[in-house]
This record gives sequence, structure tokens and C-alpha cells, in this order.
Amino acid sequence: MKIKLPILESSFFLLLFCTISPSQAQVNSTPDTSSHNKIVLSISGEVNQPLHLTLTALQALPEHSITVKDKNGAPHQYTGVYVQDVLSKAGVTTGHELSGENLSKYVLASCADGYQVVYSLAELDSSFVQNLPIIAYKIDGQPLFKNKGPLRMVMPEDKKPARSCFQLQTLSVHFAQQ
Amino acid sequence: MGRSPKILISILVFGCIWMAVILISSFADARDTTKKSAPAPHLIPLSFPAYFGHRYQVPKDNPTTEEGVALGRMLFYEKALSKNNKISCASCHQQQHAFSDSLAFSLGADGTPQTRNTMALVNLLWVNRFFWDGRVKGLEAQIDTPLINLHEMNQSFAGTIAKLQTKKIYQEPFKAAFGDAAITKDRIEKALAQFERTLISCNSKYDQYLQGSYQPTATEQEGIGLFYGSPTQKSYLRRPSCSHCHGGAKTYEELYMNNGLDSLYQDPGRAGLTGEDYDSGRFRVVTLRNIALTAPYMHDGRFKTLPEVLDHYSDHIIASPALSPFLNSPQMVAGTPEHVSFTKEEKAALLAFLNMLTDSGFIQDKRFSDPFLSRQ
Repeated sequence: MKIKLPILESSFFLLLFCTISPSQAQVNSTPDTSSHNKIVLSISGEVNQPLHLTLTALQALPEHSITVKDKNGAPHQYTGVYVQDVLSKAGVTTGHELSGENLSKYVLASCADGYQVVYSLAELDSSFVQNLPIIAYKIDGQPLFKNKGPLRMVMPEDKKPARSCFQLQTLSVHFAQQ
Repeated sequence: MGRSPKILISILVFGCIWMAVILISSFADARDTTKKSAPAPHLIPLSFPAYFGHRYQVPKDNPTTEEGVALGRMLFYEKALSKNNKISCASCHQQQHAFSDSLAFSLGADGTPQTRNTMALVNLLWVNRFFWDGRVKGLEAQIDTPLINLHEMNQSFAGTIAKLQTKKIYQEPFKAAFGDAAITKDRIEKALAQFERTLISCNSKYDQYLQGSYQPTATEQEGIGLFYGSPTQKSYLRRPSCSHCHGGAKTYEELYMNNGLDSLYQDPGRAGLTGEDYDSGRFRVVTLRNIALTAPYMHDGRFKTLPEVLDHYSDHIIASPALSPFLNSPQMVAGTPEHVSFTKEEKAALLAFLNMLTDSGFIQDKRFSDPFLSRQ
């Protein structure tokens, strides 16, 4: 317990200083409410069970909220599901299974605007990080804005928002091969 | 002295074995050459500066070869690929305009204007999805559209193949590139794709600056800072850098953005493909390499000059639900109390940077020019 306390404290401060680009500064944006029955997220690659999830199916997973600050310092509550829970559902090696060669796996996130970013599997896993990344479908209790939603990655431990990517569509898991 | 006959015999034995090996291997060679009717084409490397990176894929079944590229170049300039033998790929993709043209909408073989502005063919090696809306993956597949499209070259592959078969000049090139003289759809696509992959522009003033052989003027240096968003600059605090979407040294990343041209869309852009509202008015972000040569600008050629383009990003970004989040702030959107325009100096600096991206060697490179002209 003596060791754990400072970690908890530091993660609390990390949360405080995290920045997510401003959503309140949008001009003329409308929330996206139209995607409940469409496939909104696909999981592929090194998975036992490829998934194609509707928003309803995604929301059937345990819901979590995290609060992060935007670059103007205003806090926002993002609500969604742990990336780890989605990956586990697809049979990706998570938790206890995330060891050995599985640590050379990465997750490629692809978004509707063509943007792609990479995470290591360990960065998304509760056995490695304190504050778990989520796939958010709500901001401050409302659906995400159309130009950022319906889904957005939220990386609570990143100092820059660049990996909290908008309009997330697919996560594909791969072994790094060199 | 008694040893010499033994030595002689062993020399003879080795000699026989050696001869046998040579004979067998020459037979084996002969068998090989009867199998292959032409020598294998020569692979050529695609060279570019390290700062362009290797985020590209060349199909395993279509490596770039000297012979394939040479054939592709002929086909690129071949007017028999159009129904009335009047236009080739190069009619709209002209080398002096960085393989674009100067019209808002190019005219097809039948004289009909296209629905979107002709895209420049520059550094296609790094493009994964083609056209303004990214609807086709891979160069080989892209090629089919303009060849067949009613209002472009308007000729079926069967028609093209029949015409090429009557032209003797194509027998040898097809054989050299693909092993025999058969002319097929697959080979036409592959050869054109190989040629287009070689259209690499990497010797602009900006490249020379990156490689340490050119000292930019003060205005150019200011433009580089604005474009790439040096965090020390004031402007960076109120606007994101251009490079947020226009990439690093390549000035290209494969992104689709609504850049605030309209809020009611004559052309739905990527939404026409995906049916998603958030893709409305969204188009592929283009490379800015040789941008000074490719006027007019945007998917519909609405801006005639680069200063008009800069004016758009300064003062005319229209808010809409699909507007890129990176342009959607009160400072950038037109008509808000918080709006901040580019200063005259900033516009001049950005223009100076954009002009640095012109590669005069690229548009004069003989390897890319009309082979039918240079032969005369």
C-alpha cells in the first residue's frame, strides 16, 4: 500500500493535466444520434473472433467515465467502454495472457478521416496502466459531435490529444514483424 | 617419378567430371531459355529522400521494372487508348503542369467536362486510395476508371487491346516487360501503374533546403515556420499549422477533410461513397508538391490562384456539421467575433513556402516525357 499511494496520486495529477482539444469551441456542430443500428466499430487482425459492433452492442459492455481537461483547462467527462473490454471480447490477448511474444503486438486504430495511430497492446491493458483508455460515445452526457463521433478514443495518460482520435472505425491487432 | 601417371589420370578424371558438369549445366540453361521466351525484366529501385519515409506498398505481383516502366510510359502517351484516338492520359495529365492541366474541369474524348478537377500525378507511390473521394484502392485499379469512363477515354479494354494488337511497336515492349507479347487488361494496368509510381518529385527548393544546399530567404523561412507551425510563433497559438493535414516533408498524408468551402454541397464528396453525413463535402487532402503548377484549385477548380486559396483559409471557412474539427474554431470560421485573419505578411510568407515546393526538374525530366516525341 505504501508503494501504491504515490502512483495513485500521480495518476490523479495526470488526469488533471491531460488535454483534449476543445469541443465547446465548435461552431455550428450537431450531436450524432443516428448510428444505433449501424456497424460503428470493427475489430480485426490477431483476434480469435473478429467483431463488427453496432453502438447498441458496444454499449452492452460495462460503461465507464473518465474526466479529462481540454486545452483551455475545462474538464469534460467522456463516457464509453474500456478498449481492453472490447479487445477481450474479440479474444485478443489481454490481462494475464498479455506476456511473452504477445507484448510485441500493436493495435492500429483507423478513423473515418483516414487518420491512423498505433498503440501497443500493453498501453491499453489494466495489468500495465492505471488509467485505462476508453472508446467514448458520449461527452458530458451527450453523444459526440458529428465531426468527432460517433466514437472517439480517449487516452487519459497522454499529454497530447493526438492519439485520442476522432471518428474511430476499426482497431486491428498485429504482431510487429522485423 | 612413378607418381606422374597417377597425377595424369587424376587430372583426366577431374577434367571429365568438369566437362560433364559444364555440359549438364549448359543443357539446363538451354532448357531454361526455351521456357522463358524473353529475359527477365530488370528491377529498378524507386529512389527518394529518407524523409519521405516508406509508408507505401507496391503490389508483390507488380514490381517496378525498367521494361514495365518503359511500356507504361508509352501507354500513358498513347492516344489509341481513347475511343476516338484523340486523347491519352497525358492530355489531361500534362507534365508541364505536374501531370495535371489548367482547366477547372478537363474535357473527355467526347468533349464533356469532368465532374471534378484533374488531380496532379505527383508522388503517387505514397497514395493508397485514389480520386478526390478515395474510392479506389491501388494504382492498378485506379487506371480502369479513366480508360473506360464514358466521358473520359470511353473505350473498353477489349477495344484498347484490339487497337494495340495492330500496332507493331507494342510487341517487343510487352514481351520485354511481361515475358511474352500478349496484350491483356492486367498488363496494361500494371505497366501504367509502374510508370506512374516513378513520378517522384523530390528536388524542389524545399528539398534542397532540407538537404542543406539551399538557404531560404527570410520570407521563405517565415513561411516554413507558419506552415509547419513552429510553437514559438504567435500564429501557432491561434491556428493549427497547415501541416496538421498536409503532412510533413512530403506535404501529404492520406486524410479526408471538409475544408469549409460550402455548407450546402453540390458535390457530396466522400459522402457520395459512404452515405455518411459526416463525410459531406469531405475530400482527400492533396499533396502540395508542385502546387504552383496545378491551378486551378480544389475539387471543383473554384480558386484560380494560390492567393485565392490562402484567402479562403484566412477568411472564408464556412461552418457546417462536417467541417474538419481542425478548422472548426471561432478564430478560423468566417463571420465570428473572434475571427482572426492572416496578415498580409503571413500570406506572403505562406505563398513563398508554397512556391518552394515547385520542382522544375520534375516537369522537365525526360524519363517522364512523351516517348513518341523524343523518338522523332
